[in-house]
Amino acid sequence: MAATRAGPRAREIFTTLEYGPAPESHACALAWLDTQDRLLGHYVNGKWSKPEHRNSVPCQDPITGENLASCLQGQAQDVAAAVEAARTAFESWSKLPGAVRAQHLTRLAKVIQKHQRLLWTLESLVTGRAVREVRDGDVQLAQQLLHYHAVQAHTQEQALAGWEPMGVIGLILPSTFSFLEMMWRICPALAVGCTVVALVPPASPTPLLLAQLAGELGPFPGIINVISGPASLGPVLASQPGVQKVAFCGALEEGRALRRALAGEGAELGLALGAEALLLLSDAADVDSAVEGVVDAAWSDRSPGGLRLLVQESVWEETMRRLQARMARLRSGRGLDGAVDMGARGAAARDLAQRYVREAQSQGAQVSQEADSHHPLQVPWPVVVASPFRTAKEALALANGTPRGSSASVWSERLGQALELGYGLRVGTVWINSHGLRDPAVPIGGCKESGSSWHGGPDGLYEYLRPSGTPARLSYLSKNLNYDTFGLAVPSTLPAGPETGPTPAPPYGLFVGGRFQAPGARSSRPIQDAFGNLHGYVAEGGAKDIRGAVEAAHQATSGWAGQSPGARTALLWALAAALERRESTLASRLERQGVELKAAKAEVELSVRRLRTWGAQAEAEGQTLQVAALRGPVLRLREPLGVLAIVCPDERPLLAFVSLLAPALAHGNTVVMVPSGACPLLALEVCQDMATLFPAGLVNVVTGDRDHLTRCLALHQDVQALWYFGSAQGSQFVEWASAGNLKPVWVSRGLPRAWEQEAEGAGPELGLRAARTKALWLPMGD
Amino acid sequence: MSTHNQGTELDLSWISKIQVNHPAVLRRAGQIQARRPVKKEWQAAWLLKAVTFIDLTTLSGDDTSCNVQRLCYKAKYPIREDLLKALNMHDKGITTAAVCVYPARVCDAVKALKAVGCDIPVASVATGFPAGQTHLKTRLEEIRLAVEDGATEIDVVISRTLVLTGQWEGSDFIKTSTGKETVNATFPVAIVMLRAIRDFFWKTGNKVGFKPAGGIRSAKDSLAWLSLVKEELGDEWLKPELFRIGASTLLSDIERQIYHHVTGRYAAYHDLPMS
Repeated sequence: MAATRAGPRAREIFTTLEYGPAPESHACALAWLDTQDRLLGHYVNGKWSKPEHRNSVPCQDPITGENLASCLQGQAQDVAAAVEAARTAFESWSKLPGAVRAQHLTRLAKVIQKHQRLLWTLESLVTGRAVREVRDGDVQLAQQLLHYHAVQAHTQEQALAGWEPMGVIGLILPSTFSFLEMMWRICPALAVGCTVVALVPPASPTPLLLAQLAGELGPFPGIINVISGPASLGPVLASQPGVQKVAFCGALEEGRALRRALAGEGAELGLALGAEALLLLSDAADVDSAVEGVVDAAWSDRSPGGLRLLVQESVWEETMRRLQARMARLRSGRGLDGAVDMGARGAAARDLAQRYVREAQSQGAQVSQEADSHHPLQVPWPVVVASPFRTAKEALALANGTPRGSSASVWSERLGQALELGYGLRVGTVWINSHGLRDPAVPIGGCKESGSSWHGGPDGLYEYLRPSGTPARLSYLSKNLNYDTFGLAVPSTLPAGPETGPTPAPPYGLFVGGRFQAPGARSSRPIQDAFGNLHGYVAEGGAKDIRGAVEAAHQATSGWAGQSPGARTALLWALAAALERRESTLASRLERQGVELKAAKAEVELSVRRLRTWGAQAEAEGQTLQVAALRGPVLRLREPLGVLAIVCPDERPLLAFVSLLAPALAHGNTVVMVPSGACPLLALEVCQDMATLFPAGLVNVVTGDRDHLTRCLALHQDVQALWYFGSAQGSQFVEWASAGNLKPVWVSRGLPRAWEQEAEGAGPELGLRAARTKALWLPMGD
Repeated sequence: MSTHNQGTELDLSWISKIQVNHPAVLRRAGQIQARRPVKKEWQAAWLLKAVTFIDLTTLSGDDTSCNVQRLCYKAKYPIREDLLKALNMHDKGITTAAVCVYPARVCDAVKALKAVGCDIPVASVATGFPAGQTHLKTRLEEIRLAVEDGATEIDVVISRTLVLTGQWEGSDFIKTSTGKETVNATFPVAIVMLRAIRDFFWKTGNKVGFKPAGGIRSAKDSLAWLSLVKEELGDEWLKPELFRIGASTLLSDIERQIYHHVTGRYAAYHDLPMS
């Protein structure tokens, strides 16, 4: 027999039956780093860029601490150069037929396929994540993402008619991210015709490798540009002229800070914050499988965040026993070892988890057994915080009782219970009896403070589109806007002369909770007509009135959201009919605002039509997605936002009011509206009909000083979304203040809008913004 | 078998309370095969261990004493001596766990094993194998005869008629199937069975054994089965008293892999003795 290749250990292993290392060679990753002389810069416009006089940071193996390469720290001019390259590339890339872009994306998928070993070893080497997860999960999904979005690009001209690519997209990624996070965002952006500048933390070579692979494909080098640099360059990237949108994923507080920093900058901001997930385990669950769900959610390299685990009291003991038994079998170690569940991610991740556990312990939590579910911090990876619940109703209350809302799984074999919980959870994704499934066709996003941006599926495409003909977003920053005082004080109002006008005068008061109420301030403001005469008095609403209106709206939410689409249609159509009956009054009020009678009548007619159109659309919401890897459907639900605050523009006091109200109601929201400041009387006329037709609190209309009311609404933590049509300064304030609860905001940036036109007055953009998406995964099996 | 399931009061609520989510179990089955690769000397040691779990089986209509004899020889010497020496495992007395034959061949097997000086048990399938659709009386008689002939382990085909109508039976060992079905030992089914074994152990302290059978042909498969048991039940189940693999051709593939591990070359079919 030839010389033995067996080591001396076989005897020992035969007895212990232990696992051994299954190391993956990372030679090709090192060889690739060698091609760059172990010095990584930026990848811009299809070329490596290694500018001089930059600081550099070492890229280290998180386990051994070995220096793998040096990475340059970008500066502002590097970012500017990258944006310039992306702008140039956008000129040609966006004008290509979708089919050509589709081909290019397919070619990129093939390049990734060819070099996948390099990709997965490099990613695992530098991030420490388990190589199996990168190889079998991320790299495959990256290719699927490209294929899916190639198909979307191919059909863009038909399927997305009326929309155009935004322009240059800035992408800001956190230090603990998988390159997949980048793929989820660049694929839809590129597919619809945008170009991308990604700002990645230094020492993240995989995005650079991806950019290189894409750049070497040839004709469109500038479509993906990667700058490595500190997070502080984020606002620099966002404020570059030409950057139309910034997509950020990362920690909650960083996102909040970015939201504030970017107020008034032109770029739209899409946030995806935090990574904590939720798992809800009922007594009707397959507990063993649910425990595997916990492993998927927290004790694997699939998820970057920790887990909140809610367990029904009656199966608590059983679950904890299984959980601990399962925990004991987890293996962690070097990510490049094919047999580990969790790669060691280095000191920073460990410190974060330890800090969290210490803090939880100090608050009385039993580690590995129980903890307080109301712990204020986000649960870091790979910590699991478990707490018991008594009933499904209580579970829902506990689950929804946090400011976060990214993803959750529900484990129950009772179909009715699982669906009840699945529909009731206020999160972006719900998996029934599974956790962490992903597919390019299924949108992923969140709600509440988890951010309201989407990637994947149809929603992911709209993130990078705008209605055709929309002007480019420019900075409208007003440097001297004082956030502390904007709208704080209400100017006093005094009587303004004799009252004249059509009888009967609209009732005086704020329309709150279904009836007209006197304002808290007990004062009023005069409204003048187009000829300078007094048109009427309206109530001067204030902070207390906003509070009352939001409360009233909240009370109406569950009733209205629970209505069938048909019932919503009927109510909107009833309001339309009522407006028709009121046409002469409305027209004459419009006349006093300087509108010619014929035009006034046309405006009333158009308002009526808006109500009918949106009423009819209440029926057509949501869809079923079919996913390759899953037996069973994924439901793409369109759920109401909750309480939607709308500050109407001064112009078009009737049409704009109705055009905004109708889509909001059709999608199941309850609203608090601030009508036109110039002529709130028309909105109050409409309120008279709503008082008799609508359930109390569904629509609340508060008149008064617009800046003051805007301030109150924007700072209100329990308003779920805000649309603001008004001044540039007001828009900037709204963007800044929305950082508080990270409500999605839609602001006009001081620009007028053509309410009478279909696209701007009743286009799909309104419908898109009036509801949020939720993906509900329903795997099936006997 | 050294330990016996002492039995317990039949509590059907245990069964009615069990929830199994099929897609989730399928996912777990997929993961378990990918998450625990075993390489190099670990692989060699694990494969040798797998040999000791094998119920080396022949269940053909045309079995005669001559092929049963060959089977028994292979059971005693499952891996070529020089290969074991190279691994320094030649003194470990590695044999398969048992040989498994039809009742009529038990005599042959007992005789053949005695001839090669091997004390491993002879297992016999019995009770109207593989359908079990014979009278209780003949089934009991079949067991009695097999035991008389020297069988020390009996693979009983339970009456699936009773199971499907909710009338359960107890056992020391549970087996995925007879090996004669269209679908035999699959991971998802095994996961459910292993979890039931663990729950029963947690409830009563009784350890029930597990035997997958049918369709386990490759060395790689056997490694996955070992790690499945290790993951779901733990090391204490990884011994022949509690874990068996019913197989006929698996052994030769394991031997080929050991050959490759030792020599660095792939074996030709004639390099290794047939069973």
